[in-house]
Amino acid sequence: MTTATGTAAAATAAISCRNLTKRYGELRAVDGVTFEVRQGEIFGIIGPNGAGKTTMMECIEGLRARDEGTVEIFGADPERDPRTVRERIGVQLQLSALPERITVSEALDLFASFYAHPADWRPLLERLGLGGKASSYVEKLSGGQRQRVFIALALVHAPDLVFLDELTTGLDPQARLAIWDVISDIRDSGTTIVLTTHFMAEAERLCDRVAVVDHGTIVALDTIPNLIASLGVDSKLSFTVNGDPPMEALRAVAGVSAVERDSHRIVVRGHGNRFPHDVLGVLADADLWAQDLRTEQPTLEDVFLTLTGRHIREGVPA
Amino acid sequence: MTALAKLAGVQAKRTAREPVAAFFMIAFAPLFALMMGLIFGNEPVVEFGDRGFVDANLVSFTAIVVAIGGFVVLPIDLVTQRETGALRRFRATPLRPLSYIGADVLVRLALSLLSILVMLAVGIIAFGARPEGNLAPALLAVSAAALLGILTFLAVGYALAALLPSQGVAQMLGNVLVYPLILLSGAAVPLAVMPDGVRQVAQFSPLTQLVELLQGLWTGQPVTELWLPLLVLAGVLVAATAVAAGRFRWE
Repeated sequence: MTTATGTAAAATAAISCRNLTKRYGELRAVDGVTFEVRQGEIFGIIGPNGAGKTTMMECIEGLRARDEGTVEIFGADPERDPRTVRERIGVQLQLSALPERITVSEALDLFASFYAHPADWRPLLERLGLGGKASSYVEKLSGGQRQRVFIALALVHAPDLVFLDELTTGLDPQARLAIWDVISDIRDSGTTIVLTTHFMAEAERLCDRVAVVDHGTIVALDTIPNLIASLGVDSKLSFTVNGDPPMEALRAVAGVSAVERDSHRIVVRGHGNRFPHDVLGVLADADLWAQDLRTEQPTLEDVFLTLTGRHIREGVPA
Repeated sequence: MTALAKLAGVQAKRTAREPVAAFFMIAFAPLFALMMGLIFGNEPVVEFGDRGFVDANLVSFTAIVVAIGGFVVLPIDLVTQRETGALRRFRATPLRPLSYIGADVLVRLALSLLSILVMLAVGIIAFGARPEGNLAPALLAVSAAALLGILTFLAVGYALAALLPSQGVAQMLGNVLVYPLILLSGAAVPLAVMPDGVRQVAQFSPLTQLVELLQGLWTGQPVTELWLPLLVLAGVLVAATAVAAGRFRWE
């Protein structure tokens, strides 16, 4: 923070990692990772099972001792200054538990007491759909409800930075949507969020930027649209049409790379956001209209497949 | 400080909600005293120097509470919480290990002491158990010794929990250790009925030393004559605390 650039970086970075390395014997679980998480963003860490996502996250949180590199959370080292860091971060661990025979409200009350500036946890329970469960024993709740209790525990002191490890694994689709809304709200109120996930839909829905992790290294880091664009893979638009389509005019549309006739369907391949609209315009000019319109865009899953050569296995915890 | 108070409150509630643990921690010793009193009565007999069975053995039962709490209940509970990841979740907060341990020890200490005091009350009220000298000072001295014993064996429990790898091992080792030690200490069966060899071996057990201390204070021996058990207990307390502090792990 002595130079002008240092001050600027400190003002915007919630997390700053340089050459972060964690070894287990011969295995480099995290292998020289360098990146920054900006304040106020939702930063996703995605990768296949055993890629090192959780280890990376726990090294950053200071729950695991790193072997090399530096980590700063709001300018403080989580290993050298754990209590300062832990006052400001909230953590939802992938594998976690509470002592048995305590109720939801007792758990929140207890964890709130560990922090210098606890928030009011009752509205938090309401937001997480646990309002009616305050006096239930935590171990008697369903998996999804328990998961939400741990999310509540991570948020009980209104932290500046929240780590969520496999946030919605084991939740039903409805609960997942509800949690996504809560996470978006929390970010909107200024909290920085770092999450790991197996769900591409979750990353696409929530994350401002994602780091794709494989074999303990970050193989790509960017916004999701940029990652998809970097693939250079065409989108596909297909339809049937009530007449003879002007094939040459369709091929001439900016961004279109190929137009094919597949029995009675027309398949148009291209890149960029504009070409589907322009293709429909050409049809309208010829007084034709498209029916049974389908589009197929490359997704984060394609990015993942291209970068790692593997499908991410959705829904399987690491 | 609020964290310590909340933790102690939660720990006390958890204990009350676990009938088996609550039974062991509070009701076991009074019931044991009641049972022994009903079986043997408190009529003066020659073996106990013309004192009754309850007169002579009541304070020794303290060692049973202390041993079960330290060797069995505490290590199993702590290792279980470590294995389930409950301790790990605490570690991700600013909570200090010492606050956690402090609250835990405080609650266990209070419950054990309560149990022992109720047990002494049962012996004194139901069976008219009396020390050699005046009741009040003897009771005070015995309570203080019980406190030292509880602390010492809770420290041993923390040391065991730190060293033992799993709940299964903690359960096994706890049970393997606790019954021979209770038997050897003279807490359940008077040492006087044991063969000489066994009595000598028993002297090496810190639990036996606790019983010697309690017996000594109950029969009006001056503290200066009880330096050996005091020294042994203090030594074990310091050593176990050092091991526990050095090897404590959240996960």
